[in-house]
Amino acid sequence: MPAAAEPVRAYDDRIVRAFTVAAVVWAVLGMAAGVWVAAELVWPTLDFGLPQLSFGRLRTVHTNVVLFGFGVSALIGTGLYSVQRTSHVSLYLPKLAWFVFYAWQLAIMLGAISLMAGWNGGKEYAELEWPFDIAIAVVWVAFAVVFFGTLARRKVNPIYISNWFYGALIIVVAMLHIVNNLAMPATLGKAYSLYPGAQDAIVQWWYGHNAVGFLLTGGFLGMVYYFLPKQAGRPIWSYRLSIIAFWAFVYTYIWAGPHHLHYNAVPEWVQSLGMVMSLILLAPSWATLVNGVMTVSSAPQKLKTDPGLKFIVLALAFYGLATFEGPMMAIRSVNIMSHFTEWTIGHVHSGALGWNALITFGTFYFLVPRLAGRKLHSERLATVHFWLALAGVMLYVLAMWGAGITQSLLWLTLDDFGEVRYGFIEVMAALNPYYLLRLVAGLIFLAGAVLMAANFWLTLRGASTERAYPPAPIAEVIA
Amino acid sequence: MPRSVTVLQLGDILFRPSRVFARLAESEPDPTRVFFGLTFWLILLPPLFTYFGTSSHGWLLGVEPIILPDEIVVAVSIGYFVLLMFGFVTTALVSAWMARTYNAEDSLGMSFALVSIVGAPLAVGSIVHLYPHAFANVIVLVPILIWTVYLLYRGLPVMLRTGPERGMLMASALVGYLLVAWVSLIGITVVLWGLGLGPDMGI
Amino acid sequence: MSFVGLHKKLERNSGLLIFGILVVASIGGLVQIIPSLFQESLRTPVEGLEPYSPLELVGRDIYIRESCSTCHSQQIRPLLAEVERYGTFSRAGEFVYDRPFLWGSKRTGPDLQRVGGRYTDAWHRTHLIDPRSVVPESIMPGYPWLAGRDADDGSIERRLRALRALGHPYSDDEIEGAARTLDGLTELDAVIAYLQSLGTAAPGEAGP
Repeated sequence: MPAAAEPVRAYDDRIVRAFTVAAVVWAVLGMAAGVWVAAELVWPTLDFGLPQLSFGRLRTVHTNVVLFGFGVSALIGTGLYSVQRTSHVSLYLPKLAWFVFYAWQLAIMLGAISLMAGWNGGKEYAELEWPFDIAIAVVWVAFAVVFFGTLARRKVNPIYISNWFYGALIIVVAMLHIVNNLAMPATLGKAYSLYPGAQDAIVQWWYGHNAVGFLLTGGFLGMVYYFLPKQAGRPIWSYRLSIIAFWAFVYTYIWAGPHHLHYNAVPEWVQSLGMVMSLILLAPSWATLVNGVMTVSSAPQKLKTDPGLKFIVLALAFYGLATFEGPMMAIRSVNIMSHFTEWTIGHVHSGALGWNALITFGTFYFLVPRLAGRKLHSERLATVHFWLALAGVMLYVLAMWGAGITQSLLWLTLDDFGEVRYGFIEVMAALNPYYLLRLVAGLIFLAGAVLMAANFWLTLRGASTERAYPPAPIAEVIA
Repeated sequence: MPRSVTVLQLGDILFRPSRVFARLAESEPDPTRVFFGLTFWLILLPPLFTYFGTSSHGWLLGVEPIILPDEIVVAVSIGYFVLLMFGFVTTALVSAWMARTYNAEDSLGMSFALVSIVGAPLAVGSIVHLYPHAFANVIVLVPILIWTVYLLYRGLPVMLRTGPERGMLMASALVGYLLVAWVSLIGITVVLWGLGLGPDMGI
Repeated sequence: MSFVGLHKKLERNSGLLIFGILVVASIGGLVQIIPSLFQESLRTPVEGLEPYSPLELVGRDIYIRESCSTCHSQQIRPLLAEVERYGTFSRAGEFVYDRPFLWGSKRTGPDLQRVGGRYTDAWHRTHLIDPRSVVPESIMPGYPWLAGRDADDGSIERRLRALRALGHPYSDDEIEGAARTLDGLTELDAVIAYLQSLGTAAPGEAGP
């Protein structure tokens, strides 16, 4: 409802719609690239002799598109939606927000092409070369200006918790990106890392792990803290717990990086520190999980079964799995068996598919009908998607657990003479059926995502973005 | 009203589970009767199949078969039985504990019945252990596991009388518990292997 | 003031919140990274380690271009089975000229840290073009295009200068003469040269 006296601007939701659509498009494209590389592990000639489709380059396209195309677009879109509504104002500098939108999509598209062309910085999830690094930093600063600028103009004094998490995402990712990508350029498409060897390893995994921590975990927790109470019709179960969990999370996560370097050529004190802090991290991660579960379980009986809610609730279960499995794999004696194996891939995807994708899908099923001002085109299709997604994730994770254990068991087993018992090729050949199973799992998951994309298209088609207005100014109720 | 569900109803359990869910929802199953009438026999199947399969074929991980001495096969089968028993009891207890939060039926007998019925396809499907090829087991049991999760989502709201929404929430919570329990099992296993309780590894 | 009361201050001031997040999130990184930048063992090359020659550097940059690290690690852990399979475990001092490091996080294919000298040039030549012609079960993609491209794309001098700016000891003569050392050689020759250099400056056999 429009406010009484002065004209109040409607919320800037067209940009949220743009980011949502972009996220869905990148999800389908990025996962399709994933399915292609999964197929290449079964049939290696699926690159047709073309360097652009070669496994190494295409896998990098897959990771970059799903993380930075799908993941970041989803985060920016939902971040801008929720910061407006928790602040009761429309966006600060909406034109700058549109710049962020177009520039980001262009960066991802050109970035993917550059990766296929062989531009590669050589560090995981930081492969885009230095011109892109600079461009990304500029766009990110613009996003920060819009987000924090909107927050600064808020009509509700306390900053709601979802904004703390989105804010942490913005600040920490900026720090990680800049520090890890420092390099000396040689040509337009080639720069050499500022750090050499073992030092580079430590910096890279400080970056890599915290990209997971603040982008894939922190940012999406921001999403949960806004959208879950909205869907459940209840406030967050414990305010006090959310404060402790947030600061413990921000402090502890940063230390966990060296668990990627167990038994590698870095000082043992660094490895041990990484392990201990990874174990401690279980507490704030699960504190947030408990907060989410208790919020939803105390929902009133008249809870409307939103198709999105199923996704969100299952995502919380996988969040529990991933944030438990991570610290467990950070234990050195477990890491001996998991490092370098498919188990790590299984862990990544239980998080990326089970947590990140599912929570985003759930949020989008809630958001898209609201943006369109219409009901979702087909709730039945959403239910089918749910079961496809569940089947896909379970098949993927179980296949990779099986493959990973097989791999490390066979690599490390000695024969009666104390020699390694199995040749590398023998072990590799034994994994072929698991790779096939993982391909099937990926296809199932992708099929679900395609159904979702179709459902959203049919919902949004022909509907202009619904106009919503901030409520009339409220009296400051909280002391 | 019947106080139990037994292994004699296995046909209905496997092929007409909705009927079994509805019937049990109207009754007050007694945990002891459920356990000795159904659960115990189901839990017996996987270790039995493992014993016969491993004795005749050894373990196949995709390379040449690993032949284990008979004492070890017996020990592994018994260990498997104990583990399944432990897993069953803890899952039923966790379900009863969670039920209070979700305003669901929290009787132990109902939890026993729910976990047994939902796990029945897996127990029967474990016949694939007669051929202990790792991948063959994965390809048979994983789809059955997915079906099991589906059964949980279908059966829990009916049997624990929660209504569809609360039932979905509680089922997801139970799935979360199962995922964490399963991965803990993997973790504990590899740590034990590292300590020497298992294959001879160069670490 | 109770901690909740303290937090209420933070929640009402976005500037303080931003500053707080930045400070709290910086601590772990500072503690783990700063000391490593000064630790001698991470900065001292092992005896006999030389910076990459121009040809080897071109090969390394191609290895990065084709994302070989996606499937191949370069890090032997101090585990008996690994040392038996791959050679003595990796020491930090072997990597001081590696920008970026290429330890990898996955072994779809075998570790390559000490592949230098294990196979002949001819074997590598055939294997890189079509892996399945030497290893029928291999799932590695082929890289036939390497044979048809010149090792020298005109940028070798700029690359060496960039590395020298970062501290690698290249002389003026080496840099100016670099392009000539690439004359008549292909990308395939470069990659093979790089692979043959890996792990050859291994520290003295300290045993597993």
